[in-house]
Amino acid sequence: MWPFDASIESLWLVLYLVTFVLHAVFVSYVAAGTAYTLVAALRRSSDPIAARTRDWLPFMLGAGITAGIGPLLFIQLLYQRRFYTANLLLGPRWGAVVPALIVGFYALYLAKASERWRKLALGVGLACFGFVAWSWTEIHLVMLDDPAWRAMYGAGQRFYLDLAVVPRLVTWFGVMLALYATVAAWSASSSERGRLAGLALVGIIACGVTSAVLVVIRHELDPAHGWTYVLAIAAIVAAIAWGWTARRPDGPGLALATGATTAALVAGAVVREAPRLAMIEHGRATASASGGLVVFFVTFAIGVAAITWVVRTVRAAPAT
Amino acid sequence: MSPLDSTIPYYPVNDFGPLMKGLVIGGVGILHVFLAQFAIGGGMLLWYFERLGQRGHQDARTFVDGYFKVLVLISFVVGALTGVAMWFTTIQVGARTIGLMIDEFHWLWATEWVWFAVEIVSGYAFYRYGPRLSDRARLQLLALYALASWLSLFWINGILSWQLTPGAWLDGGGVWAGFFNASFWPSLVFRTAVACTLAALVGCIIINTMDLAREQKAALIRRASRFAAPIALMPVLALWFFAVLPEDSRSWLLGGSMPMLMFVGVAAGASFLIGGYVVVGLILKRLFINGATATLLLGLAFGATAAGEFVREGARKPYTVRGVLYSTSIRPTEVAALRARGATADDPYPLQATYPTAQLTRGAKVERALCDACHTMRGANALVELSHTWTDDQLRLNLAKLQRTKGFMPPFAGNAEDVEALVQLLRWERGKRAASFAPTSSPETLAQIARWLDEAGTEPAGAVQ
Repeated sequence: MWPFDASIESLWLVLYLVTFVLHAVFVSYVAAGTAYTLVAALRRSSDPIAARTRDWLPFMLGAGITAGIGPLLFIQLLYQRRFYTANLLLGPRWGAVVPALIVGFYALYLAKASERWRKLALGVGLACFGFVAWSWTEIHLVMLDDPAWRAMYGAGQRFYLDLAVVPRLVTWFGVMLALYATVAAWSASSSERGRLAGLALVGIIACGVTSAVLVVIRHELDPAHGWTYVLAIAAIVAAIAWGWTARRPDGPGLALATGATTAALVAGAVVREAPRLAMIEHGRATASASGGLVVFFVTFAIGVAAITWVVRTVRAAPAT
Repeated sequence: MSPLDSTIPYYPVNDFGPLMKGLVIGGVGILHVFLAQFAIGGGMLLWYFERLGQRGHQDARTFVDGYFKVLVLISFVVGALTGVAMWFTTIQVGARTIGLMIDEFHWLWATEWVWFAVEIVSGYAFYRYGPRLSDRARLQLLALYALASWLSLFWINGILSWQLTPGAWLDGGGVWAGFFNASFWPSLVFRTAVACTLAALVGCIIINTMDLAREQKAALIRRASRFAAPIALMPVLALWFFAVLPEDSRSWLLGGSMPMLMFVGVAAGASFLIGGYVVVGLILKRLFINGATATLLLGLAFGATAAGEFVREGARKPYTVRGVLYSTSIRPTEVAALRARGATADDPYPLQATYPTAQLTRGAKVERALCDACHTMRGANALVELSHTWTDDQLRLNLAKLQRTKGFMPPFAGNAEDVEALVQLLRWERGKRAASFAPTSSPETLAQIARWLDEAGTEPAGAVQ
């Protein structure tokens, strides 16, 4: 099935996409969750969704960063020269994502622990995560634009000020809202689910409108061998399911919305990747012949079992 | 030509001002190693104290919950993120090196990542749910955390030690020959001992902050200090490590280079002081250690870690991966071709500064390609300072026979015109960058440089194996 085949590059691609999707879920919770809790703090409302989110944010950021190491590893196999070049072109300004994440991390702890500093801490955290999202969007685009590399380096430019950054960021904003709502809804009460459904619908609509505007402006739609249609259908189903959840919060709407959102996320990851699939660096002998695949898969199975055991153990713990 | 078309991958080179790139990666790397090793030892110490607590030592149980918060807030946050920073910084400093490491060891790196994920999940689970869990579950969770964090070290240690002693991998032995290389076991045992020591020292600091009577603190300190006992093995482990080093690296660390010898001395001296205090003072004499002294010892341990990491990095010279890739990101097999074509013939990137002559422009490109990885022009390890007393012919000779000038330098990977252009660039830089500068390229001079290049050959000074 396109874009997958029996090559080693295809295996890297699968692992890249799977880990990227996992990473996206966690970081979406963090970015959108921080924004949500900041709004709740500014409105001085005692919002149980915000309280729960605040409690989980540091862990979710830790999980997001950990999950992010997976795609960071596999992108170096798929597009090594492009990725390294883009890193080097953006230089220290790109490296600033690390201190931004450290500041954001401690800000989330502070927001959890101190009511006095909460608004400031969440504001700082949101600014940090916004900067990281913008930086990743930029580096993605720099990787694609190899004709611009020499001029960019010669001029010492550390910013890739292309208008294409804007729709990508808006789309991600929508995706993050929808993913945050999906995760948060499972621990929400019936009345809270209605609010989260509204949030998810805003996110889906933002993605849809941005995509439609881009199609109109560019006069082209890349079907990505049908994945774009899967994405569109899954997004529509998710929107309907969220509407259903808003009307009947305890019904099966949430399960359907979660399934459809997951399908949309996977299809969206493939559609996002489609324009650069031709850029995959094939025929790198050392990487292709490298050993250790079996050890990785065995360890992966053990790791999944260990994490499952941890989750079951803590779920079995009595409530405070 | 597109930057993607060249056979040798050329990357944009960033300038860090007066900081040489080794200092940049060293700064990030030392912080990361220190925190990561603390996290590993901390996991083991927590398991040990939890076990003590469950056997009736109530203060040990209190310690576990207090210590874990510190572990999470410091090592999880900064430790995990400096790990990511290491990747980004390595790309900045030596993209081709990290690319080769990823190519060769990506499945083992992915394996390490799985254990890191288990470490994070089990650690957070204990942090969040520990007080609500049964004794058995607490102990199991801490055991899983400690095991996962140590296995994370196990996997990354093989990849890092491969850079220094790739051994049978060079003869086509494959990924496992590279992973279980000569310095794998001494490094692993050494780092494990360091991890235990760091955890014990931080433990002593935390114990001093606990609201306990002095006798109770002393009892906990005695337990924690036992955990630092492996530092007594350091001299043996260091000898083991030195024994498996390639001969040229060993001689370079043990007197061949005074700065490296001083780093060895700092690491050994600081470790000796910590070990002496732990073994004689804390374990044999059962002295009480207050928070200030424990902090001071931890500071010494940081110094020892920093010096040790510089030793490990420095011992690899002139390679980043021994026998495979020089610190200039050029493979030994590529030197001969670069001697013929010139060092920068295929470099697609322009310079960011302008120079008064074409020869100086070429010199600046050569400097960027062949020197910039380890030197700056006027900052740390400055070319201008290193060469300012040399005559022009001495410069030409020393550059042309670079691997003979200093055994830890790679062979010059360019032609006679490149040498001359670099010589003139250095002259121009020493002369305060005059607005006009006469080019020099007499055929006799170039012929002499070419002879020196031929005499030096394209091989490194030391044997690879």
